[in-house]
Amino acid sequence: MSLQKILFSPVTRLSGLLSVELEIDNGYITEANVSSTMYRGYEYIMRGRHVTDAVYLTQRICGICSTVHGAVASYLLDELYDNDIQENAQYLRNIILAADFLQNHIRHFYFFGLPDFVVMPDRPPFLKQNCFDCRLDENDNRRLAGHYIEAVKASEKSHQLLALFGGKAPHQHSFLHGGVAVAPTVDKITQALALIGDIREFVQRYMLVDTELISHFYQDYFHIGETPGCFLSFGLFRFGTKNEQVLWKGGVLENNCLTEPRLDLIQEDIARAWFERAKWLGEGEIHPAPHKPGAYTWTKGVLYRGRHFEGGPLARMGMNGYYQGGTSTMDRIVARSLETFLITELVEKWLKRLQPGEPPLKQKTELAKNKGIAVTDAMRGALLHSAYIKEAEVEKYDIITPTAWNFSPKDHAGHRGPVETALVGTSIPSAELKYVIPGRIIRSFDPCLSCATHLFDRRTNTIEEVIY
Amino acid sequence: MEKDNFFQLCQEYNGATDYTLSAHILPITRQYLSCNTQRKLPVIWLETSDSGDNNIAFMNTTYPYLNQVFTDMIDLLYSNTFMAAQGQDALDILNEAVEAYRGKFTLVVEGAIPTKDHGIYNVIARTKQRNITAWDAVTWLGTAAEYVVAIGTCASFGGASAAAPNLTGSVGVGKVLKREVINVSGCPVNPDWFVGTLAHLIMYGRPELDDIGRPKLFYGSTVHQQCQRRSYFDKKDFAEKLGDKECMFSQGCMGPRTGSDCPNRQWINHVSWPVKVNTPCIGCTTHDFPDGSVPFFTSLSKKSKDQYHEQKPSEEKGEEHESTKNPF
Repeated sequence: MSLQKILFSPVTRLSGLLSVELEIDNGYITEANVSSTMYRGYEYIMRGRHVTDAVYLTQRICGICSTVHGAVASYLLDELYDNDIQENAQYLRNIILAADFLQNHIRHFYFFGLPDFVVMPDRPPFLKQNCFDCRLDENDNRRLAGHYIEAVKASEKSHQLLALFGGKAPHQHSFLHGGVAVAPTVDKITQALALIGDIREFVQRYMLVDTELISHFYQDYFHIGETPGCFLSFGLFRFGTKNEQVLWKGGVLENNCLTEPRLDLIQEDIARAWFERAKWLGEGEIHPAPHKPGAYTWTKGVLYRGRHFEGGPLARMGMNGYYQGGTSTMDRIVARSLETFLITELVEKWLKRLQPGEPPLKQKTELAKNKGIAVTDAMRGALLHSAYIKEAEVEKYDIITPTAWNFSPKDHAGHRGPVETALVGTSIPSAELKYVIPGRIIRSFDPCLSCATHLFDRRTNTIEEVIY
Repeated sequence: MEKDNFFQLCQEYNGATDYTLSAHILPITRQYLSCNTQRKLPVIWLETSDSGDNNIAFMNTTYPYLNQVFTDMIDLLYSNTFMAAQGQDALDILNEAVEAYRGKFTLVVEGAIPTKDHGIYNVIARTKQRNITAWDAVTWLGTAAEYVVAIGTCASFGGASAAAPNLTGSVGVGKVLKREVINVSGCPVNPDWFVGTLAHLIMYGRPELDDIGRPKLFYGSTVHQQCQRRSYFDKKDFAEKLGDKECMFSQGCMGPRTGSDCPNRQWINHVSWPVKVNTPCIGCTTHDFPDGSVPFFTSLSKKSKDQYHEQKPSEEKGEEHESTKNPF
C-alpha cells in the first residue's frame, strides 16, 4: 500500500475542536499533525483586569475542568496576598476540586470513550457508529451501554456534590483566594457523604469492572499508542496554610528517574503553531498568525529542558506508586479509572474530617507581591498560572494547560509531542479502522481543546517564586 | 378536533349507558396523541467558540436526565460532544440531517462566532478542500433550521469569548444571522433553562422572548427580585466581606440587573446558587457579561471602567457572510 493521507476531522467526543492529519505508509502511521482549530486568546482577556477576577474569569477557559483553573488562580492569589488557609478550607477546597475530577473522569470514560469499544444503541446520538472492531458479545454490549445511563446519574451527582459547597457547576463560586466562602454545616456534610457514597458505589460496581472488561478484550491496546515514558506532574491536592504540601506528589519522570520539576526549565515553542513574535509588541510578546506557513495548530508547544512531556492520571498514578505498567492507550485508560476510585475514597475521608463551623475564609486586602506563579495538576495533566500585576491590575497573565503539553505540535527541531508520538508507528490494518484506532489513542489522553487554545507567553528565567 | 365539537360530542352521548362515548373519544384521543406528543425534536448542535461548559451543564440536567432527553425529547443528530461517529462519517450525518430535516430541525449553537479574518479562529471541521469555519457553518445551518437556539452567553451575546480586547472579533449568533435566535444565556446555562426551552419548542412552539431574545419564562425577572437576601437589602444590611450572610450588593452582586431565576431554581438538582454560598451573583446571563460585571467583587455603582462600559446590545447586525450555501 502506498502513501495515503487521511484527514481525521472532526475528532468527536471530546471537549473543543480537533482535527488530525495522518500519513499512512504500508499500513503504518508515519506522520501525524494534531491540530487544535479554535483560538480565544484568554491571557489577553485577563490584562487590565483586577487580579481577583482571575478565579471566576479563568474558569471560563474550560467547561469540563473549570474548577481546577479557579483553584490554581486561587493558589496564585494566596501567594500574592500572602493568605493563610484554615484547615477546614483546605479540606473543602480539595473536596470541591476532587468532585470536578470525578465528574470529568466518569464523563470521559462513558460519554467519550465507551462508544470506541462498545456497541451503542442504533439511535441518535450514536448513529453510524463504526462497529468494525467492537469485540464484546451481545450481552456485554447491552450491559455496558446501559451503564452509560448510570454514568449520567453518577456524574451529575459529582457536580451536585461540587455545587453543594461551590454554589454551581461548572464555574463554582466559593473556592476563592483566602479559603472557601461556604460554611461546612452538618446538613451539607451529610448530604455530601450520601452523594459520595453513591458515586463510590458506581465506580466500584460499574466503572472499575467495565474498565477491566474492556482492557481484557482490547489487550492489544496495552501496546498501541505508546509514548517514550517522559512524564510530568505538578502534584495534586494541596494542603497546608500556604498551600505548600501536596498529597499526590508531582515530578519529572525521565529514564525511570524522578526529579522535582523546575519551572525555569519550561519553554514555549511556537515553531509549528499559528503564532508569531512581533517586535512592535515588545520582547517576548507573541500574537496570532493564522496564515503562518508550516504551522498547523493553535496549541503552542511546551517543552521541559528541551523535551516533550506527557501528563495525566497515568503520570500521577505512576509517580505515586499506585500503578505500574506501560505507557500505552490502555494504560492511560486504566490509570484514569483507578484514580477515580482513589478520589472517591479521599473525598469521603475529607468530608469526615470537616468541622462544622463558619465559612473558613480570610482574604487579605494588601498585596504582598506583584508577581507570582502557581501550579497544580488538572484532570489531564500539569497546569500553571502566572501573573505580573501592578497595583492589583493584571499586566500579564500566563496559562500553560495540560493540553499544551500533551497536544504539543512538533518543536523547532521537529520532535513530536506525546499525542503525535503515540500515533506514529501505529498499524492501521484496514481502511475501516482509519478513524477507529487513532480515535482510541487520541481519546486516551482525555483531550480538552478548549484548554489548548489559549495563548501562553512566559518569559523564562524571570520568575523565581514557585509554589510547591 | 376543536374544543366546541368535542363538547358537543360529549353531550350527544351523555346519556348513553354503554361504552359509546368512550368508543367515540378514544380514536380522537389516539389521533391527537400520535400527532401531538410523539414528536421528537431533531437537533443539530454546533460547538463554536466557548469553553464547552454548556454541554457539561446540559449533562447535569435532572428530571429529565440526559438519557431521558435523548430517548424522549430530542434526536441529537450532530454533536461534536456526544456523537459516536467521527471524521467524515460525522460530516456525512450532518449533511444528510440537513437534507432530511430541512426547515424542521433545531440548530443549537454553543459558543460565539469569530468574524475577524473571515472567521479563521474557529474551524469546526476541515475537508480536503477547505476549512469550515463556525461562521460558515452557522450561516448555512441557520437558514435551513426551524429554530435557532443559542445556548450560553457566548452564543447569545459573545460572552467571555468576546471579552475585551476581543482579538478574534467574536459575536453572538444573533449578530451573524438574519433571523430570530432564541438566546438561552448563562455562563454556563442552567440545564433547566435549556431543556425547558426545548420542551417549550416541542410542546407549545416558540416561547415568549424578552427584548434581548431570551425566554421570559426563565429570564423575565431579576435575581434581585427573587433573592432570599432581599430583606437584608431592604434594611441596608450589607455583607462586610465574602462569606457573610447579609446582602451581597456590597460585594459586587449583579442581581439587580440580571434577569434569571437562580434564587428559586438553583443549580445541579436545585441544591445551591452563588449567593447561597455567600458570594455575589456575577450577572452571567446578561448581554455584556463579563465586561459589564468586572471587577467582580466591586459594588455595582463602582464597577466597570470606561473601556468595559456596558451598552445595550445594538440592533445592527455584524458583518455579513457572503454565502448561506452548504460549505462542504
